[in-house]
Amino acid sequence: MMTGKKLVLASALILAGMCALPLGVGIYPQHVLITSLFYVMMASSWNLLAGYTGQVSFGHAAMAGIGAYTSGILAAKAGVNPWVGVAAGTVLASLLGLGLGTLCLKMGGIYLSLTTLAFSQILHIIIVNEYAVTRGTMGLQVPGLMDEYSKLAYYYIMLSAAVLILAILYGMIHSNLGLNFRAVQNDETAARSVGVRVLHVRVLAFTVASAMAGFAGGLYGHYLLLITPEIPSLDLQFYVLAMTVIGGMGSFIGPVVGAFALNILAEKIRDYGEYHVLVFGVIALVVARFAPNGLLGLWRRFRPAKQQ
Amino acid sequence: MFAISIMNGLVMGVIYALAALGVSLVVGIMNVVNFAHGELYILAGYFSYLFASALGVNFVLAMVMAVGLVFVLGLLIEYLLIRPTYGNDMYSLILTFILSIVLQNAYLLIFGPYPNKPPLWVSGATDVFGLFLYGNQRLAALAAGAAVIAVIFVIIKKTWFGRIIRAASQDREMAELNGVNTTRLNMLSFGLGCALAAAAGVILAPVFPVTPGAGVPVALTAFVVVVLGGMGSLWGCVVGGLTLGLVENLGAAFISSGYKNVFGFVILILVLLVRPAGLFGRAKV
Repeated sequence: MMTGKKLVLASALILAGMCALPLGVGIYPQHVLITSLFYVMMASSWNLLAGYTGQVSFGHAAMAGIGAYTSGILAAKAGVNPWVGVAAGTVLASLLGLGLGTLCLKMGGIYLSLTTLAFSQILHIIIVNEYAVTRGTMGLQVPGLMDEYSKLAYYYIMLSAAVLILAILYGMIHSNLGLNFRAVQNDETAARSVGVRVLHVRVLAFTVASAMAGFAGGLYGHYLLLITPEIPSLDLQFYVLAMTVIGGMGSFIGPVVGAFALNILAEKIRDYGEYHVLVFGVIALVVARFAPNGLLGLWRRFRPAKQQ
Repeated sequence: MFAISIMNGLVMGVIYALAALGVSLVVGIMNVVNFAHGELYILAGYFSYLFASALGVNFVLAMVMAVGLVFVLGLLIEYLLIRPTYGNDMYSLILTFILSIVLQNAYLLIFGPYPNKPPLWVSGATDVFGLFLYGNQRLAALAAGAAVIAVIFVIIKKTWFGRIIRAASQDREMAELNGVNTTRLNMLSFGLGCALAAAAGVILAPVFPVTPGAGVPVALTAFVVVVLGGMGSLWGCVVGGLTLGLVENLGAAFISSGYKNVFGFVILILVLLVRPAGLFGRAKV
């Protein structure tokens, strides 16, 4: 555990490195970096659920879809400023998270998993069917965040957004609330007996994570300029899940590492064909089965002991 | 239109009930939801297609072989993936979800995106009460589904194995104290749950051809049926399955066919709002 000065120094170094990363590389690597940052936000916020409070949502991609489509439809059909649209999408996703969470979580975690899975399928059906509003599988063209399109500017926007999300998550996890999260995950009954309001804690985590997914999805949609039902799809949901599981569930850095590693690896595998989902599936299955704390957990276990 | 929707609803309802029985059995005993349920349903469809259409095996034998193979696969999945996660329900959810994605993509690679269909058991159509002509294959599917459900009920209500299953789903520790080997019971019931998905798959595949992604809506419907009927309740599956089959088909006929699967979701939300334990569920203490 790094503390104080060391942590600040390390974060500053990484941030400086991230700022310099897209300079002098081509448009394609910049695109991969931008999508990686989107996945960093998605995987880290999903990790707040699965890794810290022990609830598995299969509707995280759907919440990103809510953010993207809310903002996209507002901007494309009503001419609303994209930034206002992103805020609206974030609010809507958090409200849906609050509603679904309240409805399911009093019945236990399995209900949340079932309902979020159903929710993501239904959202998909609605988007495909309501062609007039959403343009179905053709995709909805939306305006960008800035008048002039620049990958570099989008990179810095996504980087700031990711840093913001990570900072909020870090603050939550290392506060009293974070202790409550852990308590609820480890032993619900024990947590309740020491006065943790289990239901409140769970619903709060689900609402916050949904809002973050909505925010990330909204920004991502305005970057892609074309929103398709690919965003709220089970494939994207699986992608986020695999990044978290392979990187390391329940650790702060794990999903960040997982998001970059898998997104870059996916681009490499694409050279040979559309096998990346299958490959990630098999890797994720092996990791979840044999190394439930992911690659980060393996590294922690096998790194040479520190010499004090 | 009304009569034929009722008939379609009955056929689908019986298949939903069958698929949901497999989920409910496993939830009741192991508290595990198998998210790869729909993919095993599809796998059995592919197997029966392979054996009957490509290898020329008799269609009944092909179906039995398909269900048997999926049963063995279910035992393997329990042994390799589910067993190490006991005590941590979350990991079984994650593992079976990953498994469903792996299977979907494997089917896509092996069989391609095209629909595959085993041969029909019977051909022609029958006049139902002078109201409409109905395909014999669908009537046969209705009869076969009802027969399998009846067999499951006899096994669970009348045999010694069924008594063990009921004991373990009521009180796991007490069953263990009375000498039930719950580890082996878990393996068997998980296999049985998969075999029920497979049974639904082989019965419905001649009517609705299998594609790599076709398992997702079936599994979702089965989950909705289980929540509607009450987790772990067998009668709940039958009543819930028939209800959902009828609502979906009447809704598709009279409201909107594009939103067929949305009606199930509406029911799910209503159940969670009004009676979260389900129709036949025991309220949580």
